[in-house]
Amino acid sequence: MADENKKIVDARGSSCPGPIVELSKAYRVAKVGDIIEVWATDPGIKADAQAWANKTKNQVLDVKEENGVIKVTIKILNR
Amino acid sequence: MERKKVVIVGCGDGGIILAHRLIKDFDVTLIDKNTMHYFQPWQLHIAFHGAKEKKIEKRKLLPRRANFVNKEVKSVDLANRKIVLSDGEMGYDYVVVDTGSRGDYSKIPGHNELFNEFGDTHSDTAGAQRLWSKVKSFSGGDAVIGISYPTYKCPPSPNEAAFMFEEYINKHKLKPKTKITFVTPFPRAYPAEPINEFVEQAMKERGINIMTFFDVESIDTKNRTISSIEGDTIHYDFAALVPPHVGAGIVKDFSDNDGFIKTDKFKLNIGNYDDAFCMGDATNIQTSKSAVTGHIQSEVISERLRGKDARFNGRTHCPFEFGYHKATFVISSYTAPALKLKPSTTNYLMKMGMKYLAWPVLKGEMNWFFGFYFNMTDPDKRAKSK
Repeated sequence: MADENKKIVDARGSSCPGPIVELSKAYRVAKVGDIIEVWATDPGIKADAQAWANKTKNQVLDVKEENGVIKVTIKILNR
Repeated sequence: MERKKVVIVGCGDGGIILAHRLIKDFDVTLIDKNTMHYFQPWQLHIAFHGAKEKKIEKRKLLPRRANFVNKEVKSVDLANRKIVLSDGEMGYDYVVVDTGSRGDYSKIPGHNELFNEFGDTHSDTAGAQRLWSKVKSFSGGDAVIGISYPTYKCPPSPNEAAFMFEEYINKHKLKPKTKITFVTPFPRAYPAEPINEFVEQAMKERGINIMTFFDVESIDTKNRTISSIEGDTIHYDFAALVPPHVGAGIVKDFSDNDGFIKTDKFKLNIGNYDDAFCMGDATNIQTSKSAVTGHIQSEVISERLRGKDARFNGRTHCPFEFGYHKATFVISSYTAPALKLKPSTTNYLMKMGMKYLAWPVLKGEMNWFFGFYFNMTDPDKRAKSK
């Protein structure tokens, strides 16, 4: 994975709409090919990130949970 | 005992309430470049009802013994306990930053031009009056109302604007000739789900279209279109957009990219400085940017300055107008989701009552009531008792 294009959006501890706000702020400055990994503790992020990706025509690569932290990996295909 | 010197930088709603809480035991100084204080929620009523502005001199809201310095603060240097003014410096025992937030129209290409033409509900009286002149002269077409960027002041206000505009055009029989679209960067019409249920239902009933995931990227005032980073473009004949909000960015080493101050979400200290606090809109805390937040935080800071380990629980309590004399309140905390409070006329009367109570509240004259009221409506306590 081209790690230099990966951006971590740490929205742990913030609740809706915090994580999606941080994601959209990262998207503002993102380029095609970037990977955005959102870290959140609010479970709402799973559905919101998927809805966001559908809307923006980007791709959710992976959703995983580690020690109570939800990590959603998104590939930017459209910007 | 010598009284410790507390300097409140920025004389906003929270800072004024805090000054009243501290004046008995501390030497209190407030610094602000402005001398007039405005009741900001009233901008919605100026813009959609043609109401008159409500303002007062800041000095009149402060305790008599507090010092008011009418100067601009250039920066706050926590390491050297120093406040740098436009002419000179000031020291402190404790500093509280209450510099608020403001609309930044330079973030979005075309926004300045849009603002110059239409005004909005988030700038000043002139901006709100400009919007009112556009509301009055509106004769039908595409109306776009909403949020341009996810960080902004007063979360319910854009939805309130849509409801108030719809009520106006309905009253003036322009409904058949008008398409109202509410645009928002969030996944829902209102981010907090329990409240969103009421908002979406009311918008549906009143024919207000909702465009979610709409983060404004640029505005073309020639062709009258607004485009989003998500790839949508919408045409407008009338537009009321809340601008992106930024902080003053004056605390050296502790300001984020948007100028908000890195604040401990519970203790309200800036970084690890026990002698520095931040409150209200100026913080980077993910909570509602509204006067009521500053009001509740003023109690936490006042207690902490007296050596008690008080914590801010993320409490919000925002009035939310639905039009047609109905309103609800968004009451939530870090851990309790918003209560599902149905819009009602009683809530509307309480919201409108704030117009008359605003100055007494700031002067601390209503602390006896709000102490009781906020405690009674505490969402954390409700969650526990369930």
